[in-house]
Amino acid sequence: MAADELDPITLQVISGALDTIAEEMGHILYRMSFSSIIRESQDLGAGLFDTDFNTLCESESTPLHIGSLPGYLYGIQESLQGGVWNEGDVVLHNHPYFGASHSPDLAIVIPCFYQDQLVGFAANTAHHLDIGAATPGLIIDIPDVYAEGMLFAGTKLYEKGVRNQALWEFLGRNSRAAKQLQSDIEAQIASAKLGVRRFVELMERYGKDTILAATGQLMDYTERILRQKIDKIPDGEYRAEGYLDDDGKNRDVRLPIKVCVRVQGDSIEIDLTGSSDQVETGFNVPFEGSTKVACFCAIRSLLLDAETSEIQVPSNEGSFRPIKVIAPKGSIYNPEFPAAAEARFTQVNRVIDLIYKALAPVLPDQIIAGSSASLSFVSYSGVRPSGDYWVFLEVNEGAYGGRPLSDGPDSIDNLMANTRNNPLEDLAMHLPMICDRYELRDDVLPGAGRFRGGIGVVKSQRVLTDGFITHENERHHDVPWGIFGGWPGTTGKVEIYNVDAPDDIQQMPAKFSGLKIKAGEVHAFYAPCGGGYGDPLERPASQVLEDVLDDFCTVEHAKAAYGVVVDLAAERVNDAATESLRAQMRSQPAGTLSESHDRSSEKVALNEARLAIPETTQRPAPGRTSTAVETAVSRVSQSRDSTIESLREAFGEAWSFDVVYYTSRRGFAEVRGELRANGTYASETGIDEDPSASSIGARLQAAADQSLFKCAQKVLRDN
Amino acid sequence: MARVGVDVGGTNTDLVLEADHGVYFHKVASTPQDQSEGVIKGLSELCEQAQVKPDEIELIVHGTTVATNITLEHNGAEVGMITTRNFRDILHIGRHKRPHNFSLHFDVPWQSRALVKRRNRIPVTERIMPPTGEVETPLNENEVLEAVALFKKRGIESVVIGFLFSFLNDSHERQARAIVEQEMPGVFVCTSSDVANVLREYERFSTAAMNAFVGPSTSFYLSNLQGKLSSEGFRANLRVMQSNGSISTIEASSRRAVNMLMSGPAGGVIGGKSEGLWSGSENMITVDIGGTSADISTIPGGQIKIMNARDSYISGHPILVPMIDLVTIGAGGGSIAYVDSAGGFHVGPRSAGADPGPACYGLGGEEPTVTDAQVVLGRLDADKMLGGDLLLDEELARRAVENKIARPLGVSVTDAALGVIKVINSNMALAIRSNSVARGVDPREFSLMPFGGAGPLHGVALAEAVSAKNVIVPVAPGITAAMGLLQTDMQYEHARSLIRSLSEVSADTIERMNTLVSDLVAECRKDLENDGVPVARQQFQRIAECRYHGQGFELRADIPEGEVTQANMPNIVTGFHAQHRLDYGYAFEDGEVELITIRVIGMERVTPLKVSSLDEAGGSTVEDALLYHRETVFDDGRAVQTPRYDRDRLRAGHTLTGPSIVIQHNSTILIPPGYVAHTGVFGNLTIERSN
Repeated sequence: MAADELDPITLQVISGALDTIAEEMGHILYRMSFSSIIRESQDLGAGLFDTDFNTLCESESTPLHIGSLPGYLYGIQESLQGGVWNEGDVVLHNHPYFGASHSPDLAIVIPCFYQDQLVGFAANTAHHLDIGAATPGLIIDIPDVYAEGMLFAGTKLYEKGVRNQALWEFLGRNSRAAKQLQSDIEAQIASAKLGVRRFVELMERYGKDTILAATGQLMDYTERILRQKIDKIPDGEYRAEGYLDDDGKNRDVRLPIKVCVRVQGDSIEIDLTGSSDQVETGFNVPFEGSTKVACFCAIRSLLLDAETSEIQVPSNEGSFRPIKVIAPKGSIYNPEFPAAAEARFTQVNRVIDLIYKALAPVLPDQIIAGSSASLSFVSYSGVRPSGDYWVFLEVNEGAYGGRPLSDGPDSIDNLMANTRNNPLEDLAMHLPMICDRYELRDDVLPGAGRFRGGIGVVKSQRVLTDGFITHENERHHDVPWGIFGGWPGTTGKVEIYNVDAPDDIQQMPAKFSGLKIKAGEVHAFYAPCGGGYGDPLERPASQVLEDVLDDFCTVEHAKAAYGVVVDLAAERVNDAATESLRAQMRSQPAGTLSESHDRSSEKVALNEARLAIPETTQRPAPGRTSTAVETAVSRVSQSRDSTIESLREAFGEAWSFDVVYYTSRRGFAEVRGELRANGTYASETGIDEDPSASSIGARLQAAADQSLFKCAQKVLRDN
Repeated sequence: MARVGVDVGGTNTDLVLEADHGVYFHKVASTPQDQSEGVIKGLSELCEQAQVKPDEIELIVHGTTVATNITLEHNGAEVGMITTRNFRDILHIGRHKRPHNFSLHFDVPWQSRALVKRRNRIPVTERIMPPTGEVETPLNENEVLEAVALFKKRGIESVVIGFLFSFLNDSHERQARAIVEQEMPGVFVCTSSDVANVLREYERFSTAAMNAFVGPSTSFYLSNLQGKLSSEGFRANLRVMQSNGSISTIEASSRRAVNMLMSGPAGGVIGGKSEGLWSGSENMITVDIGGTSADISTIPGGQIKIMNARDSYISGHPILVPMIDLVTIGAGGGSIAYVDSAGGFHVGPRSAGADPGPACYGLGGEEPTVTDAQVVLGRLDADKMLGGDLLLDEELARRAVENKIARPLGVSVTDAALGVIKVINSNMALAIRSNSVARGVDPREFSLMPFGGAGPLHGVALAEAVSAKNVIVPVAPGITAAMGLLQTDMQYEHARSLIRSLSEVSADTIERMNTLVSDLVAECRKDLENDGVPVARQQFQRIAECRYHGQGFELRADIPEGEVTQANMPNIVTGFHAQHRLDYGYAFEDGEVELITIRVIGMERVTPLKVSSLDEAGGSTVEDALLYHRETVFDDGRAVQTPRYDRDRLRAGHTLTGPSIVIQHNSTILIPPGYVAHTGVFGNLTIERSN
């Protein structure tokens, strides 16, 4: 032990005191605040920082806030009004090109002075309902950062204890939810003031030098633990890829995500080079405040898992030090000013998911299968008869991938998201909205596996006044991945319909901005389901029976995916039939789908099936008689070519077919495709069980064809 | 006539008997497979000891962990649920927040240990609409009958009915309940509006489902205990401790088993409160230290605080019933101390439990615990544990501390043991802060009361750490909780949602409030009358749970006596502002205050326990109580020859100067250098800094 080092006992005592302060700060903030996104969802973060902007402690609120505050502090340093901190200053800051996580996350920072010397900062961030952006609440399709609303950089709301009244009133005039904005800022100030008071008390009790020495040592301690864990991972480069649906404007341009994890000794580099260039909408990610924070979160969750680690490491800067994040300037993960970057969550959640995919070969017992890994963030708004706006932000849950020792949890905030939902009854008593449905999806199944994927939610919200919806969301195309023999999960979908015409459904893209809706319209969100982990044939038959009884699985799926024959009336497994079916499935000739899970043949088949044709010409379909329709319909089931011909005849080039879901294993292939044509939509599943088919690729192709035939028949009839 | 308090803990069942001729204590081993066996055994032995016949006992108050254990072991009833169509998974989704921010392998208790399996959650067609509670779609009774048929087929023992917006209109829940009762006679049935008639569907359903889950076994236990008592000749009224610190009848407890989930720790808080009052202190911080955990509660002005319902969770499930505001942390005599791979030093929350227990128990434990550290420091005499009934091995304690802590950290065994105590005290002090300072309570105006066998070893250090006024050590620290059982009131609560602005109050709102208050008072009165409480002894407390419009968390304000009027309405609003300022340090004086829930508590004041006073010191001196001297190490690291005194021989007025140690059958009290302890008239010790 070096002479100037504190003993581990004092260290532990100070560590506990710091944690308590952070929790107290977070507690005050969400208990006092008014808007549901803070008080119920707890979309906030709070903590103490030293003068070098190191995190000393941080509240356990939502992960994307944890670790983002140092970025704000660096940004404030560059932009601080007057350039000097005074006692009694309160700084307001949210500029994404000055370190903010994204513009709605306003930070309040108060300097801590001890014996007339600046010793650190108490700071917090909280997501605000509306900061006067182009559309109410959330925004996606906007040209630049200025359309995000009010931007503050190093702005002093209080200077030497005196409030800037002009600024305060300006805030009150520039938000659609001004009262909540101002009250929530007051809650933030109360929380930060408490932090300052506690920080000073701590200094008085233990002395400044002890506290600063302790915080330095606590960071070293956290860093040391994380490095020990990294050191155990074999050195190497591990890669994974995925893609995002679109940027919210250019509908058919998929955006690649490329993740490379480089492990060298006790350090990790996460390199996002090769991912999409920055986009022209607000679907970019601020690098300092969001991209980096997400990568830290990914590694911490993986290597310092709070459930499985005996030791809870202190939350501080030490957990960031071993991790380097690379994203080229001008890419979606590091946009250049003045690109807008408000809608940034789902992109980074996908990065986390792909980091786990990349590391699967070396950490098979720690990683989990593909999760929903998106985020559904909806802004509902409207104008009350009084002329005032109402704005409501809702975070919808996702679902986890199967895990090495347990199923993926169903309908729960995923990866970096961790908010609380709003009580439906509270909402309906206070806002002109009513929830019509909130339960697990029953239209699709999660990825099968030794441990199945989690099941996504369906939430149908009806608005009772005319208004607007903006939906920041993902994952209508890229399917959550299964692993080690587990099946892929399922993509999500969004529907809009009028409550009086529930069958007249409009299929929506995952994300859209400022959509006008009428009173009585329902917005139905279906979350993606997680992928499976491990071979479904290894799932105990008794467990599959439980799943069937609980409607987590159907009798058909139990048979097709798990080889388990369930007698539903008797509520038991048919053991003999199951044994023979499982034996038969296990003995399928090798090569149809090998244990190493080579999916190259699948890829070829599916690329052929993906008949995406850009909707360049939105021309109306020619008028057709019913006999012509029937002729066209009858032709589609004959072959691919004749189907495509029928579609071309009916719609020209204004149609597209996409595979959104597929699974395959020995003797079985299932493909779900989506056909969009002339504003109509069909999504149908094709199954191929022909044991004579020579390869899995051919079987998938056949299943994809079936899906196409069914979709085409429906679309042709509907038009 | 006599009264008995019986507190069943994980290891011991503690009993207190109060008769005209004195107060008697007894302790027997708990019988976890059927707690009633230990209770009966203890009662019979105690009656013999006190020379009281079973039929002379008029009241038995029982604190039991039986309901809590069902939740911990997850072995409650197979429950069926009837719920609103399209909302089958309210209990499965919960509040959709994960228990940890940074974890991939986390457990989701409401999914992995569901109170109602999904197969038994049956949605039926019905719909009640906000904000008025009008029926949009009538209940489909055929679907209820189909659900019942399925429940019968599956042998369901308990049914819960939970519909959305039933807090506005409970007619559908009652209708469904009637069908279930008719079709499944004898089955346990409850509705969500009956168990927790307030807004927030998940929490209401979860509370009702928990009631259905623990109800059948709990009510079986209670009726079985009552049967055994009568066959042993006991004719006393049996009452059960509730989570909110009141007592209730067997019948009411069986119907509302969810109200007794915190029956165990509640007795301790009540006991602490009354011991404080005997010592003349109204402001108490109670610290009940057991083997694996410590329960901490703050009692300002002699009033036990009730937890905000939003913070009440049991085994990961939210429970919307009033519970005493206490925090439990994993810190106790059995907490294990260790050094991790990166050199970090920790004590708890892992515990050596009863098996193998601390290293010094000699049952094979090799990891050092807090108890081992106390032995190493000479604070716990190895030959005096439980009056010498439990012999400790000092050498094993020393070896564990040396091997697992002193050597890895490169410090002496003494310093290592001091470190263990320092860290466990720090953990407890932080929990005390979170339950006091963080809620606007200033500990400098509070006395700290440590109990549980090990409590008084930590009392002074904790009081120092949180700057409490002084330390009060109760008469019998090992059985304070059992004594608390004889200090509590019969109490019933009823609540109903009424969501109205209080800033501009209409005549209609005032009328609704008055109607609701009188309805709720009538409901409480009926409960009390069922228990035979005479009108003269009935008391009612009326509470308005409010928040600023738009906030999500309510705080309590008193409703003035008599009718609510335009004139006294501002008192409620002012009371709410004051509570907000107390809890959060800030009030929005201009903010619109919104009423959410009206709650009425009806109670009967119970005669307090009479503890006999000690003989005055008279001519005796403290030296008459001296046992022997031994070496003890105090927090500054110095080893001092320290006198041991026998607590049973202390007399009122005796003063002990630190350093000294007081030993009694179930506890050891540490008085460090610089402190003095005064013996009060009831034998309670007040320890404070010497001048």
